[in-house]
Amino acid sequence: MKPIFGIFTVAAMMCSQAMQAQNLKFEEYDLANGLHVILHEDHSTPITAVTVMYHVGSKNETVGRSGMAHFFEHLLFEGSDNIGRGQYAKFVENAGGALNANTSQDRTFYYELLPSNQLELGLWLESERMMHAKVEMVGIETQREVVKEEKRQRVDNQPYGTLFQETLDHAFDVHPYSWPPIGSMEDLNAAQEADFKNFYKTFYVPNNAVLSIAGDLDIAATKALIARYFAEIPRGSVEVSRPTQVEPLNKGEVRDTIWGKDQLAMVVEAFHIPAQGTPEYYAVDMLNQVLSQGESSRLNKSLVDEKQVALYSGAFTYNTEHPGLTMAYSLANMGVDARQVEEAMNAEFDRMKTEYISDAELQKLRNQVENDFVSRNASVAGIAESLANYHMYFGDANLINTEIEKYNAVTKDDIMNAAKKFYTPQNRVVLYFMNDPKLNQN
Amino acid sequence: MKKFFPIITLSLALVVAACSSSKKLDRSIVPVAGPAPKIQIGQYQMTTLPNGLKLVVVENHKLPRVSYSINLDIDPIYEGNRAGYTMLSGELMKAGTKSRKKSQIDEAVDFMGASLSTSASGVFGSCLVKHSGEFLDLMSDVLLNPTFPSEELEKSRKQQLSNLVNEKTDPNAMSDQIGNVMKYGTNHPYGEVMSESSINAITADDLISYHQDFFRPNVAYLIVVGDITFADAQAQANKYFGSWKQKEVKNFKYVTPQVPAGNVVAFVPLAGAVQSVIDVTYPINLMPGTNDAIVAGVLNNILGGSGFQTRLMQNLREDKAYTYGAYSSISPDEWVGSFSAGASVRNAVTDSAVTEILFEMKRLVDEPVADSTLQTVKNIMTGSFARSLERPQTIANFALNIEKYKLPKDFYETYLQKLNAITVADVQAMAKRVIRPSNAFITVVGNKEVADKLTKFASSSKVSMLNADGTPFVDLKAAPEGVTAQTVLENYIKAIGGKDALAAVKSFEQIGEMKMGPMSAKVNVKMKDNTKLFTSVSMQGMDLMKQVYDGTSGMNMQMGQKKPMTDSEMTDARIQMDLMAEMNYEKYKYTAILKGIGKVDDQEAYVVDVTKSDGSVMSDYYSVATGLKLMSTAMQGEGENAVMTETRIVEYASVNGIKYPSKTKQMAGPQAMEFDFSEMKINPKLNDKDFVIEK
Repeated sequence: MKPIFGIFTVAAMMCSQAMQAQNLKFEEYDLANGLHVILHEDHSTPITAVTVMYHVGSKNETVGRSGMAHFFEHLLFEGSDNIGRGQYAKFVENAGGALNANTSQDRTFYYELLPSNQLELGLWLESERMMHAKVEMVGIETQREVVKEEKRQRVDNQPYGTLFQETLDHAFDVHPYSWPPIGSMEDLNAAQEADFKNFYKTFYVPNNAVLSIAGDLDIAATKALIARYFAEIPRGSVEVSRPTQVEPLNKGEVRDTIWGKDQLAMVVEAFHIPAQGTPEYYAVDMLNQVLSQGESSRLNKSLVDEKQVALYSGAFTYNTEHPGLTMAYSLANMGVDARQVEEAMNAEFDRMKTEYISDAELQKLRNQVENDFVSRNASVAGIAESLANYHMYFGDANLINTEIEKYNAVTKDDIMNAAKKFYTPQNRVVLYFMNDPKLNQN
Repeated sequence: MKKFFPIITLSLALVVAACSSSKKLDRSIVPVAGPAPKIQIGQYQMTTLPNGLKLVVVENHKLPRVSYSINLDIDPIYEGNRAGYTMLSGELMKAGTKSRKKSQIDEAVDFMGASLSTSASGVFGSCLVKHSGEFLDLMSDVLLNPTFPSEELEKSRKQQLSNLVNEKTDPNAMSDQIGNVMKYGTNHPYGEVMSESSINAITADDLISYHQDFFRPNVAYLIVVGDITFADAQAQANKYFGSWKQKEVKNFKYVTPQVPAGNVVAFVPLAGAVQSVIDVTYPINLMPGTNDAIVAGVLNNILGGSGFQTRLMQNLREDKAYTYGAYSSISPDEWVGSFSAGASVRNAVTDSAVTEILFEMKRLVDEPVADSTLQTVKNIMTGSFARSLERPQTIANFALNIEKYKLPKDFYETYLQKLNAITVADVQAMAKRVIRPSNAFITVVGNKEVADKLTKFASSSKVSMLNADGTPFVDLKAAPEGVTAQTVLENYIKAIGGKDALAAVKSFEQIGEMKMGPMSAKVNVKMKDNTKLFTSVSMQGMDLMKQVYDGTSGMNMQMGQKKPMTDSEMTDARIQMDLMAEMNYEKYKYTAILKGIGKVDDQEAYVVDVTKSDGSVMSDYYSVATGLKLMSTAMQGEGENAVMTETRIVEYASVNGIKYPSKTKQMAGPQAMEFDFSEMKINPKLNDKDFVIEK
């Protein structure tokens, strides 16, 4: 199901799960300008991941200017005072590296994966981006068109491509999570050069960023280089604004049908849940694991294997900094009524409210968490990103070692209570994506 | 800055000197790289078990996990009219064994937090090392003792049919399919297409025999990667896979697909598409694990391999903003390789984007690349090679290639040397060999309004309008409100005389002529009491073909050979005798769906797709103006011999208030046959003797 959600699942996929605490070592400190630095040393492969995470995502956008954060992700490859237009990729690729970036609703993440002897190049490039990136019309116009193509490719021209956008739109009334990072093309067209310049000045500042580096490096040498390239960047002069709206729980059921050209019915149920990192969030995440992790998980077993009403059925916690959503979705088998699919999903949610999960099931969850926890630190790029995430959202990079305890602390009661509290009709959005055969006429 | 100095180590001396000598950093200076780190390639060990299973082990003790992979090294299989059965056989290995039900297997895998997947080409699993014994017990059971329960097959069948429906609105899936059909042809394993009828034709026996015939240790590798020693891996392999029995495995030969003589444009319409998915593609001859393949890799990275600097990316994205991304691939393969270049672009620039892709291809053939370009690509490939080594799986892949393709043992050890030795001339020579801007299939999936603009790229000046599976696309518009398959069929019955007149027909006899090229034969059809049917085709008094159905059984006689009619032939005979069959489809377990309004020549016609009880589909065309049937199309025959047939009703004649097709024309591939029934007798006296089956 990953293709359906495209870039926006990145955040969900990173959704952290863990088991016995491990001991991944790192160092962290702040520069005077507020830039937080995290370093992890690992010499197994001669590569280094240089990453910068900015605490800006689509939730920092205002109504009428949606899509700015994601647009910046494109724009900030255009160049800087010392890096010519289009040269970012050239420097990195010529050095044998790779680079890219992605944007979620909460943060924007840039990275270079470099041969370890090119660490300094990565620091130069990222410091240039933070200090004086070029925000100019020529780049803006080109990237506007590229982003429109990105939206056409990932949303408009994809099967069920509007699923995510529709879900957010129906779920949020007051919080800016109501639009996806890619935003609206009208808003992008309307944005002026001044809007872009202000956005850059506000959010792309050292005190709103985490520089996280992992791989084949010498900690002391790296610190010196970081000081050299980043210390002179001034702290931001504009206060970083964060949305304060809180989307309430239990707003009453929202139900709608979206007509499209895809021929199989898709049923989505989204429930409002607390922010990531809260005890209730971990309970919801474990609950989703019961419903959806592995072929023996309940939704798969019931809807796909036994009742055979769905081609696919799953659930995931969309982890967000502010209260967000958990989503369950099922793609109906040919000829199966969407209502039948919804009933089968609801039956599984109801079971979670009335029956405790078994001891064996709880052990299974913990084993799965342990396996995921061990496996996820296999690449230095992944480690750099996890460390940055944990610091940015929770102020505790060491959660990379200890978050598993939060999962282990979840009890059967917690899981049942989460089901009772959040998986309720008055707290949900139910969307049917149905076929309108007229749209299939060539 | 000072505060960091106390902890600086000796190795830092240079950096420190640089720092302190310049008060202010000159940011215009690009940092200079330190000495290149040494790229170390991990090692693998290998042995062969007594049953022929080759064991490859890559030790990596960084994380306490291990993966096991069974990879078959067999020839591709042409599945014909049951396309999809090898895939289902692979998938359903874990749907039940002699001692475990599917739910037990799923539960056991999930309980360990492990993963296990099976496919037509092998089995893959991974787990934490502490679970490895228990995990292998399960994995070997799945590999050695699958039972392919029929209820699981039915479930998968249903899912595959749903999948097919789902892919009908997925432009990327459609692009992949039409690309494969065009470049390999449906007669090659790489180009054959799963269809509703092929999925419906798959039996449990197909799955069992695929597994029996091809899942054998003598054609398999067991690849173990992770936190394990070679000795332990060897012991595990013997314990869990030692009893796997050898058997000789069949080999196959296929005609190698070739590039087209000129550019061929295939357009697959997708309603409502806001982008065109473009693919310029064709088969190539390029073996994996050769120096040629490395040169081709360089070429591909110049054109559109990965990253932002490739020519396709710079031209189509960064310069013209036609697309979010433009890419190419040059894939070596033992049987037949593939070139592909393409992008998803907005409708309005579809033809411009094709122009630019072909331009970049041609430029590679015509002009030597700059030294700096070649150097950049070498750097990119060196970097990507080094990064790939972070995954121990990479070493396992290297090992598999070395063994499978009999490469020199140091092929990957010396990969970077070989890469660095490549010259501009090597690249251009390779471009001349594998870049074919004038011998390509240009496939586009998109809004049909943009198709006309693509004629200029086709050598024939014609765009083929196709469905994703390569069958001809029929252009349809929506039928008006209230018109359904049922109303169309009822109208047809009215148009040919109405229920009462048709019900009065108990018997008939038709005499006519069949022409095929210069040949002509006499055709005689007799129906008696709505239950018996006789058909003969004769030439100069000699029967070429005769078919008799007596109401309960039937016989085919062709050139003196006799063969009893099959069930489906008898159903066909009963339908032929039922002049109102179109109103009685339910009785024959046929389903009819109105697809819309198409055209037969210049006449508008309702298109009704009729799915027969065996899953095959025919499309019938009924005139919007007169209600009469104008044409019927269907695929006849199976697999490699399948051919599209088209039967046109050229003229109706009237007798006793009933209209019957007096002139028809049938085309089956290149063959054309014409029928002319000059005589039609309603309720004649017929002799029962004609309907006796001679044993």
